[in-house]
Amino acid sequence: MNRGNRILLSCVYWAFVLYVFVPLILMILMGFKDSKFIGFPIKSWTLDWYTGVFADAEILSTLGYSAAIAVLATLISVAVGTWIAVLLEGRKFWGRTAIFGMTVLPALVPGIISAIAFRIYARYLGIEPGMGAIVWAHAVHNVPFVVLVVMARLSTLPKSQLEAARDLGADPIIAFLRITLPYLVPAILGASIFCLLLSFDDFVRSFFLGGYEPTLPVLIFAKLKSGMSPEINAIATVALVLTAAIGIWAERFTRRMNKDTKA
Amino acid sequence: MTDQTPLVRIEGVSKHFGDTVALDDLTLDIARGEFVTFLGPSGCGKSTTLRILGGFERPTTGRVILDGQDVTTQPPEKRQVNMVFQDYALFPHMTVGQNISFGLELKGMDKASIKRRSDEIMSFLELDAFGDRYPAQLSGGQRQRVALARALAPDPALLLLDEPLGALDAKLRGQVQQELKSIQRRTNKTFFFVTHDQEEALTMSDRIVVMNKGRVEQDGTPEDLYFHPASRFVAEFIGETNLLSGEMRGHDGDAVVMDWFGQTLRGHAPAGAPPEGAPITASVRLEKLGFHATRPETGNAVQGKVVGKTFLGSRMAVDLMVEEAQGATLRAFVDAETGQTVGADPIWIGWDSDSMAVLRD
Ligand SMILES: Nc1ncnc2c1ncn2[C@@H]1O[C@H](COP(=O)(O)OP(=O)(O)OP(=O)(O)O)[C@@H](O)[C@H]1O
Ligand SMILES: [Mg+2]
Repeated sequence: MNRGNRILLSCVYWAFVLYVFVPLILMILMGFKDSKFIGFPIKSWTLDWYTGVFADAEILSTLGYSAAIAVLATLISVAVGTWIAVLLEGRKFWGRTAIFGMTVLPALVPGIISAIAFRIYARYLGIEPGMGAIVWAHAVHNVPFVVLVVMARLSTLPKSQLEAARDLGADPIIAFLRITLPYLVPAILGASIFCLLLSFDDFVRSFFLGGYEPTLPVLIFAKLKSGMSPEINAIATVALVLTAAIGIWAERFTRRMNKDTKA
Repeated sequence: MTDQTPLVRIEGVSKHFGDTVALDDLTLDIARGEFVTFLGPSGCGKSTTLRILGGFERPTTGRVILDGQDVTTQPPEKRQVNMVFQDYALFPHMTVGQNISFGLELKGMDKASIKRRSDEIMSFLELDAFGDRYPAQLSGGQRQRVALARALAPDPALLLLDEPLGALDAKLRGQVQQELKSIQRRTNKTFFFVTHDQEEALTMSDRIVVMNKGRVEQDGTPEDLYFHPASRFVAEFIGETNLLSGEMRGHDGDAVVMDWFGQTLRGHAPAGAPPEGAPITASVRLEKLGFHATRPETGNAVQGKVVGKTFLGSRMAVDLMVEEAQGATLRAFVDAETGQTVGADPIWIGWDSDSMAVLRD
């Protein structure tokens, strides 16, 4: 690669980095501005918006509500997704392709369409809007990601591992619990974190299926409607730091686990 | 039950994978305490046989009898048979100690006995120092020993080994071959060993079963197979040999008489002789040919001219032309000094009729 090309490439790279990070940096900066109006110049700085956020019972309870929904939805989608992955991977049976297709479909349907569909279906089934409905929609939406991640890991498990377990006296269930499951742990953890973040972040489904209690994204949306304020920036920054920290930790953790358990 | 009953009896076992016939009506007995090697080229059905014995595959037809009991449809976890896998298949998330204890736990042994047994087997295989390591922290040879220890720990009646030395380098391989053989002798267990390496089979086994295309070509001691091959396939697969194509002439006592480019030769026919006039092939090993200045008293003697020599260190390979017009040649191994003295003059080449085997095609 010649010099000109290299310079051009690094310019493009840095332009891209700016494009991604400038909005985030601006958002974070505004959360520290000592004034009610968002925009430059920032004449003085304050932490008041943050102390306000952590003192606001509504925001805190919403945070807890969102977290609870994320955890429940994740538990369900991990259980269902792992089960489907184990059923599908490395097996040939009639209808396999159809099951796989239906499993990944929820990941491909546009959020708004699936949200409306869920809303109509929930009403038809008589499910009240609220936590249960949101958890249900999130779980369905997340299953495909679990299935794909777990199947990918499962396909790298040498067949001889299970045969060796059977050979040494394990029936198929014990072999699954003692060999397959430990092998899947990094994938399951990774998928769980991803599901948690997806669910925590979701607006459309939570908005359509929610009751009176808002999730965090829905609350932010409601506050936005009544006008921009650095308070929103502070809430958003807290959410950003939280999710980024979990994401980075999970990424490093699963990578280390993958390395440790390589045969 | 007496010790006379075979430990394993494979009765008319065939295995089809779709249109592929991996095993074709295999019948075989394995005695207690034997070191049996299954030898054959790639794809001849060695692993399939092992997997049927281990319970990982079901035969299409036929039965497998283990210790007098029909186990054809028994799953692997019910069989007193353990396997050393080609890739070792050690459990990566368990330490060496946990790997070895796995089979003992599943046998329902109590903690103290598990500890005792796994310590015993670890010291037997000199693995004491590695109990707390993970498989990823071991060398190839150490992993191989752990795989062996794990398979031996539950005290199986039969140990299956599927090319367990394939992943080792040549030097370590030779060492582990000796080790395996001595472990087998000390434990007095029945080993069923699979390889496609004829040298390995010759050095290790009490008995070799040569397979080809899902069938047994020959079954015998290493010496038997080497000096008395029954078929062309065995003669060519094991070691280097002279193949003499000629015509069947008749019998002379126990010996079979054949014509080879105008020379009358005598051999023996372990697999039975064809009718008179039929084309036949005989095999004589390179080291069985001797050089003589005058016509020797051996069962077979022909005259030939040296046309090439290859120095191999302790010995020499000499190529001889016996019948120029039709291109009848022989190759002999002689010690290096003899090889150096033979020159351009024709010499006599002699060999016993016992050392030449008439082959089945
Ligand atoms: N699961 C399977 N499905 C289809 N064909 C198979 C299967 N397992 C084995 N075969 C076929 O059966 C034949 C015998 O295979 P096998 O693995 O027993 O050979 P092998 O003697 O062990 O060879 P190698 O020395 O290469 O390991 C081969 O032609 C192989 O392609
Ligand atoms: Mg094989």
